[in-house]
Amino acid sequence: MKQGGGTNRIKLAFVALGATVFLCSCGGGIQSSTNPAGPNAASLSRLWWLMFWVTAAVYVLVMIAVFIAIRKGTRKSDLNPVLNLPPETETSRRNAVLSAVIVTVVILFVFLIYSYSTGRALTADLGQKNGLSIEVTGHQWWWEARYNDVDASNMFTTANEIHIPVGVPVLFTLRGADVIHSFWVPNLAGKKDLIPGKVSTMWLQADKPGVYRGQCAEYCGLQHARMAFWIVAEPQEQFNAWRQNATQGAVPPSTDSQRYGQQVFLSATCVMCHAINGTPAGSNIGPNLTHVGSRNTIAAATLSNTREHLTRWIVDSQQFKPGNRMPANNIGQKELDALVDYLQSLK
Amino acid sequence: MSNRNVIDVSSLPHHEFDTFDPVWWGNNGLLAIETSMFAILIATYFYLRQNFGLWPPPIAQLTAPLRPLPELGYGTANTILLVLACVPMIMADRAARRGDRRAAKIGLTICVVCGIVAMVLRGFEFSAVYFRWDSNAYGSVVWFLLGMHALHLLVLTSETVLLSVWLRVREFDMKHRVDIVTVAVYWYWVVAMWLIIYGIVYFTPRLDLRT
Amino acid sequence: MEREREELERTWAHEKGWRRLLMETDHKLIAKRYIVTAFVFFLFGGIEAALMRIQLSRPDNHFLSPDKYNQIFTVHGTTMMFLFAVPIMTALGIYLVPLMIGARDVAYPRLNLYGYWVYLIGGLLLYTGFVLNTGPDAGWFAYVPLSGPGFSPGKRVDIWAQMITFTEISGLVGAIVIIGTVFKMRAPGMTLNRLPLFVWAQLVTSFMIIFAMPAVMLASSFLASDRLIDTHFFNPAEGGDAILYQHLFWFFGHPEVYIIFIPALGFISSIVAAFARTKIFGYTAMVLSLIATGFIGFGLWVHHMFATPIPQMGQSFFTAASMIITIPTGVQIFCWIATLWHGKLNIKTPLLFVFGFFAIFIIGGLTGVMLAAVPLDLQIHDTFFVVAHLHYVLIGGSVFPLFGAFYYWVPKWTGRMLSETLGRWSFALMFIGFNLVFFPMHQLGLSGMPRRVYTYLPESGWGTLNLIASIGAFVLAGGVLAFIVNFLWALRAGAIAGDNPWAADTLEWSVSSPPPPYNFHNVPVVQGRYALWESTPDAPVIRGLSTSKRETLVTSVLDAEPELRFEIPGPSIWPFMVALATGVTFIVGIFTPWAFLVGAILTGAALACWFFADPNYENRPAREHPERSRPVSPPAGLQPKEV
Repeated sequence: MKQGGGTNRIKLAFVALGATVFLCSCGGGIQSSTNPAGPNAASLSRLWWLMFWVTAAVYVLVMIAVFIAIRKGTRKSDLNPVLNLPPETETSRRNAVLSAVIVTVVILFVFLIYSYSTGRALTADLGQKNGLSIEVTGHQWWWEARYNDVDASNMFTTANEIHIPVGVPVLFTLRGADVIHSFWVPNLAGKKDLIPGKVSTMWLQADKPGVYRGQCAEYCGLQHARMAFWIVAEPQEQFNAWRQNATQGAVPPSTDSQRYGQQVFLSATCVMCHAINGTPAGSNIGPNLTHVGSRNTIAAATLSNTREHLTRWIVDSQQFKPGNRMPANNIGQKELDALVDYLQSLK
Repeated sequence: MSNRNVIDVSSLPHHEFDTFDPVWWGNNGLLAIETSMFAILIATYFYLRQNFGLWPPPIAQLTAPLRPLPELGYGTANTILLVLACVPMIMADRAARRGDRRAAKIGLTICVVCGIVAMVLRGFEFSAVYFRWDSNAYGSVVWFLLGMHALHLLVLTSETVLLSVWLRVREFDMKHRVDIVTVAVYWYWVVAMWLIIYGIVYFTPRLDLRT
Repeated sequence: MEREREELERTWAHEKGWRRLLMETDHKLIAKRYIVTAFVFFLFGGIEAALMRIQLSRPDNHFLSPDKYNQIFTVHGTTMMFLFAVPIMTALGIYLVPLMIGARDVAYPRLNLYGYWVYLIGGLLLYTGFVLNTGPDAGWFAYVPLSGPGFSPGKRVDIWAQMITFTEISGLVGAIVIIGTVFKMRAPGMTLNRLPLFVWAQLVTSFMIIFAMPAVMLASSFLASDRLIDTHFFNPAEGGDAILYQHLFWFFGHPEVYIIFIPALGFISSIVAAFARTKIFGYTAMVLSLIATGFIGFGLWVHHMFATPIPQMGQSFFTAASMIITIPTGVQIFCWIATLWHGKLNIKTPLLFVFGFFAIFIIGGLTGVMLAAVPLDLQIHDTFFVVAHLHYVLIGGSVFPLFGAFYYWVPKWTGRMLSETLGRWSFALMFIGFNLVFFPMHQLGLSGMPRRVYTYLPESGWGTLNLIASIGAFVLAGGVLAFIVNFLWALRAGAIAGDNPWAADTLEWSVSSPPPPYNFHNVPVVQGRYALWESTPDAPVIRGLSTSKRETLVTSVLDAEPELRFEIPGPSIWPFMVALATGVTFIVGIFTPWAFLVGAILTGAALACWFFADPNYENRPAREHPERSRPVSPPAGLQPKEV
């Protein structure tokens, strides 16, 4: 009957549409869980594809059954209720339903086993991994990262950009300073919540050098949307060099402008929140700026770290992240230029 | 239509006791809700306990005991009172069933008095806990446990008052006899809940559940 | 016979004017009010969604400020879950359950009326706050510490927490009403074994409400008291626990989605039976599946918390439970397919929406299985993948069956048929629009887009899919609009429905459309599960209920043997007054704890008046034939069927 056909056509159109939309934007991306760059994300990606293909097949089969049922049903013409079907029909229907239930149970069981073993592998040797240890604290709306070391003089704090060596497991210890946040870098691992009053741990590893973007994945207030971070995975020597540099204090200013800029920094309200190691500025309310010049982004991976962006951010960060905790700053042009010169020199 | 079998229900009563009457089901539905609430509240009590090494936590006073356990006096008196108060309620329950207005009146009136005294004692119980609701999580959850039960005592006593007033000024009809039997169920429930909460608030801290 | 009918009409006649608005207890009137109110909230929620989709249609968009966006997504979720979904499912139960079981009203009509007023007050509270720019902005589940006193200043979250109180009271009241009605007021012959699947679904849902809603009442009360009187339930500095809130909320929150879903399963069974012209295959399995879903639904809640630092061992239990719940739902779907297979399909709009359910809900169920796997969940939790999943299950699983239910039962409620052509258009637009909006969101979540973000960077590459989703939103809105146009048109110009336009099987189709206030002239005697299809001409008749008092038959729980001639309480002002007192208590309680004391006194006084009030069993002083009064509440223009 025509009406049945109309329904079928709508359904087919939907399937075609769905396939197109899905296929046209697969993979790629530096913030994508289907583009794994480490063992953690890779095993999750495998689990995803297994479940995807199996459930897609199940869906197709069930929808075929629905289509057939519709076609069978719409061939009959009178609408008197059918009240007594022959016992063979009842038996065959019962068997069909039972078979479908059994298949469902088997599939679910397979999923359960695979899921459980994937989960075990992710957390199994948490204690034995002998790699890097980083403590991340989530603030509204930026990420504080403290690199640990047996030797206290090798510890340092940075913000929003986390470097790790390729091929080395990194243990993250996660805390929430104010509200619940969630640490998530999809190319490398699943997410973990940072909950005030609790400590979470997770490990991840990057197997390929590259930049992987992470973003807060638990609604944490006004600027949740702009609370992201970068994980930069680099070969061991590069990482060592970066780390070596990070443990040093700030580069002293070398030009007059930079010196003036440092003066501006130390006499303005900046020091109320920001620390620059090697200067009297030691507040840890806001991101540590000791090596801000070498970061790729500012404002928790919202803006690229260019002169223009940095200038405007200092003058009025509220334009980019309304409601964030940094107030607008009333600074004259000369002071501003010098300040930016200074900050950009802090590599 | 005149040939059809007729089921004549005109001789059926309007109200009947226990599960016959829809009010029994409504009342027990409400009690199921409140039982769920208390169950979850009790679970909260034990959940929060995990965050404390010492439970109750110490008071910030050098002369206070390290674990200021709630004092037993008022709570125990209240427990005894509530259990004993079941007696006049059973009396009223039975009286309502057999239609004895006078006995029901006496029973309900005694229950009202017991209810009021129980609420007064409950007021003192709050002071037997060494913390306020805003001192710490222990104080918050214990006050909530005692407070929610106190709310039930209030509602229960008020319902009993309403019924004993009705008994005096209106007719002792079947509907209100069923109501008395219904409030008796509520009474027994409130007492039973109290026994559980009493045990949890006053005694479980005394058993050291941690090794 | 005719004189009896006139007496019944007099005895059960509705109040007039403002008395009808405030005091009338006819379950059909209350249910229609619920349905209209909930539908209005649905439209508000839809507008909020459209605003969000406009904001997200382009990266770095400035259509909505972050604060506005955050309020809007919070109010959207809160509206849809608390002010639309649960009330409307309850409402269809309140209208149809008494009719389907052969009763003249619900078991507690005044309590029922109270439930409606409390719901309305809660909804008005939320929207007043929203309109005044103090709408809640901590998400529809308002996690602490963000929603706590330290990070959500002002009254925004307090408004949310107290709105919860109102809607939960209303939901609990509705559950009590349905359970009492289903257990005690079934027509003779309707043993539990013959209960329509629709009624089973409402019964299971009502039990779930009883055990689940206290958890959210505690969660919101603890939150409100942390904020108002400085308790420390969620303050880690004093031994409180942020994860406690999540446990309390989700212990309610997971059953909540089944509370929204299970009634829809009841709609589908009704529609499939009527439009496949056959009995639903596997009645016992269907009933057991409903019950199993209800039970298992309480064992899943931790799957919302897999990313928190709770022990992994325990989490696996919840993976298993979350997968197991697929089985009873699968049984239902397989049984419906088996029913359709051997049926004779009358392809009308209600059935189209059932097909839509199959196509959409199953996808949602399958993505649910993915989310159940802890490791995979850690990637897709709190991303747009979850937004896709939840809309596939809620819209596919509940809203599509709901619209099917509208097309099916509006003829009974109003006496008019909806247009079939417009019905197909609304289905097609809703189906296509829905998939355009939400299918791309699966990919967005996999590509890293988290939830609850008011904007995103151009470099993310999420712009195209977001734009498609936003366009789809307007297609979906078009479908809803087509339904509204259809409904308004039908009220004036739709074909007269008659008693049973679909030749369906359940008892509501044996009375006029709309039904008389007393539902049944004679309480029916039921002879099978499919009452109208299986009744014989020599079925017994119940006589002996009074026509000068409002009486209905009360029967035994298991076998529906007659037990009492129950006197149904009639119209009263006290439910409204108690609701007002409740409103004062909890709304003023946002500002000062003393409101609880004053409010308790007011509420107590109003309850005492209710207790002493005239039960209104007796017939009112003689009236002439009751006027065909214009109803006060929408839909307007209804003319009851002339006899």
